[in-house]
Amino acid sequence: MKKNRSALSRRDFFRAGAIIAGGVAVSSSVATVNGLLFASEPSGGKGKWYGIGIDINKCIGCGKCAHACKLENQVPDDPFYFRSWVEQYTIKTDGTILVESPNGGIDGFSQSVPEEEIFKSFFVPKMCNHCYKSPCTQVCPVGATFDTPEGIVLIDENYCIGCRYCVQACPYGCRYVHPEKKTVDKCTLCIHRLKKGLQPACFEICPTEARIFGDLNDPESSLNSFLKNHTCMVIKPHLNTGSKLFYNALSSEVR
Amino acid sequence: MPKHIKRLILVFGIFIALFILLQQILRPSSFGELGHYRSDAIEENAANELHYAGVANCSSCHDTVRLQKSAGLHAMLTCEACHGPGLKHARFAGSFTGFPLPDSLVLQKPTERKDCALCHQINAARVKILFDTIDNSLIRQVNALEHNLMSKKTKKERKCVSCHNPHQP
Repeated sequence: MKKNRSALSRRDFFRAGAIIAGGVAVSSSVATVNGLLFASEPSGGKGKWYGIGIDINKCIGCGKCAHACKLENQVPDDPFYFRSWVEQYTIKTDGTILVESPNGGIDGFSQSVPEEEIFKSFFVPKMCNHCYKSPCTQVCPVGATFDTPEGIVLIDENYCIGCRYCVQACPYGCRYVHPEKKTVDKCTLCIHRLKKGLQPACFEICPTEARIFGDLNDPESSLNSFLKNHTCMVIKPHLNTGSKLFYNALSSEVR
Repeated sequence: MPKHIKRLILVFGIFIALFILLQQILRPSSFGELGHYRSDAIEENAANELHYAGVANCSSCHDTVRLQKSAGLHAMLTCEACHGPGLKHARFAGSFTGFPLPDSLVLQKPTERKDCALCHQINAARVKILFDTIDNSLIRQVNALEHNLMSKKTKKERKCVSCHNPHQP
């Protein structure tokens, strides 16, 4: 009996122990320099870390944001190229969900469902979520899309080879291939306006202040007070994209 | 060391040296400064042209309109929400060099019924409580395409703006 207490020799035991200890040491040192896990990490309270808040209760679906975005960033006019757009959700009394977005909402919305069949209806403005674990930047084979230190997901036009991998990877449908440049195009959070101290065009224009823009690292920012005062949620939280676009009053039907 | 191994090492050596040389030549200088990308691309993105001027720019000349608007229900609307992007307009007018304004820089004045309908057309999705508006009211909704369409006096179709001043509705 005494002989069978352990099949492991002393030498094997030490060897296994050393392997485990070494493995833990290596993996913990890798965690500090991982470029693999996250395209970019939250800046840990230093510098700017931009985020977006959208209050669905306040959105009246005027489509001014989508229009302003097209004019400010010279997005192609065709009704299927958008950096920012508005969707009208209608939940019918029988439970079916209808999503409409004629020309991204730029020409206005009309309700196609008769009043008595509507359970609830609301507008959802959509745009790039500027995720900090963005699937789109992780799949880029050439490093043409990236997260800036301020948390903005951008595209390097001169580096993009137009392979469309990121267009498929984005779970929010926020990317498209520019018909003339033949490179991928997306929301830049109007970085050209931010650098000059202006708000992004869609935030500038919103008539009901349904869109809130701010620095997540600044505890006094309007965005942080919006997040504190409302029950906010991101779209598709189960995908763990690290989305920084927070919606107030987001229904589970929104995809 | 056998001959064929020596040759192999030589071939590998040349290969690696070529790779390093090519990488040095082909890699853009700012690649890898902040991450696996060309950090100059941030500045390139930031160099895009501006179009929207912002409300502070507008009221520096059109202060009377700002005052009129600030007392009304449309106080929260920025000028450019209706009049369109106005930076070129503001820059030209601000330079005091060439009045009158060329036609291309005159901003739009949306007066059609469909322009008002963008926000005010009846829609079940639009019944919202806007707590921040002046009288805690709902946004006014009408059937904008039919609401008081015909003038009783002139028997002609009229626009929303013939009764409502958009700056002070």
